[in-house]
Amino acid sequence: MLLPEFELHEPVSIEDALKLKKKHGKDARLMAGGTDVLVLLKKKVIFTDTIISLLQIKELSQIKESGNEVVIGACATMAQLSKSSVIKEKFGALKSSCDNLGSHLIRNRATIGGNCCNASPAGDTMPSLMIYDAKVMIESTDGKREVSIKNFFKGPGVTDLAIHEILTGFKLPIPPKNSGAHYIQLGKRRSSEINVVNVGSFLEYDPDTKTIINSRIALGSVAATPIRAQKAEELIKGKPAKEDTFYTAGETARKEDCKPIDDFRGSAAYRQAMIGVLTKRTLQASFEQAQ
Amino acid sequence: MKKIINLTINDQAYEIAVVPNKTLADMLRYDLNLTGTKKGCDTGDCGACTVILNGDAVNSCLILAVQTDGAVIETIEGLATDEGLHPIQEAFVEKGAIQCGFCSPGMIMSTKNLLDKNANPTEEEIREGISGNLCRCTGYQKIFEAIDSQKS
Repeated sequence: MLLPEFELHEPVSIEDALKLKKKHGKDARLMAGGTDVLVLLKKKVIFTDTIISLLQIKELSQIKESGNEVVIGACATMAQLSKSSVIKEKFGALKSSCDNLGSHLIRNRATIGGNCCNASPAGDTMPSLMIYDAKVMIESTDGKREVSIKNFFKGPGVTDLAIHEILTGFKLPIPPKNSGAHYIQLGKRRSSEINVVNVGSFLEYDPDTKTIINSRIALGSVAATPIRAQKAEELIKGKPAKEDTFYTAGETARKEDCKPIDDFRGSAAYRQAMIGVLTKRTLQASFEQAQ
Repeated sequence: MKKIINLTINDQAYEIAVVPNKTLADMLRYDLNLTGTKKGCDTGDCGACTVILNGDAVNSCLILAVQTDGAVIETIEGLATDEGLHPIQEAFVEKGAIQCGFCSPGMIMSTKNLLDKNANPTEEEIREGISGNLCRCTGYQKIFEAIDSQKS
């Protein structure tokens, strides 16, 4: 398959990248690892005559701990995140997302920013970013802004990013004590598959009263974007942290929070049933971790 | 517009002018005649084009050649020496892990990368290590056995 002709820009600073994006507007496509963009170009799903590569911008591939948060650069790769000690120790669900994306060959190139900007409803990293309450860092020549990841996705392949903007990274608050998080993805095979259903949960509990203080549940592949299961989250707040509660959360997520469709990977009914099971399992695992 | 890049492939320095829309796989095969690297799907699914780029196994069909300026690349051609095949290649022959041979270069490069990073992988790690490489003939058992025989 031939790649179409294009002009390639490789800016070394965010400022230069922003200027280029402003100059070329919607004609320019941003690219990081290229594992999505190059496939889409080869398959003629997207067209562009200008590519702005972000790989030469060193600060975009850093993972930094600062105060009570971790800042992940948009160009951090899946392999890099999996190996990072802070991600391993404090953001286990995100590590598990990174370990499950594509194959090891893809994970050496694919970036977290790219995964989010590609905005597939079945994307691997998004439910985990959502349960850790990540903020998306966005820049343009006019300045910086931040948006909560739960408001970032607008539809399949569509995000909150304006034409002149670049996603530069994510801010993740360090999870509090007595909290845990877990991610499970379900596909036809274990490697290189596109998820049929993927679910992440985060849970914080009070060890004295054994009740749930806070929870976040994110569902993938069951709507036009990854979504938060808000009804299930509200329902279990203040409830005792035990299996019955997790089951109820699963039932609510299944019946009220998700709206899956039938496609060749799985039926809507199957996806819906699995949301119930995986919500319960991820909450249970989060709780075990929190103890 | 062509850009001149300098890179090291199998311990040999190259200076080459490439257009931006050429992948690393195409540059290796058509400009440098290193046709041991195969192209299967050309979309990062099959792993036939696996090469080792700066110490990491990657799909060379999803990397722009111009972006490998300054890189160190290992391809299947770099494995055998005047004394003969590389031990991993020997093991693949010995265990019957090769049938049509199309996936072998990619499979062997993934194996080399796995063993370079982890000389004594578990069964799970071996299977994970070649999970990005598809074989449509022999099945994976003999390939697994070949890799397993190369553990330290």
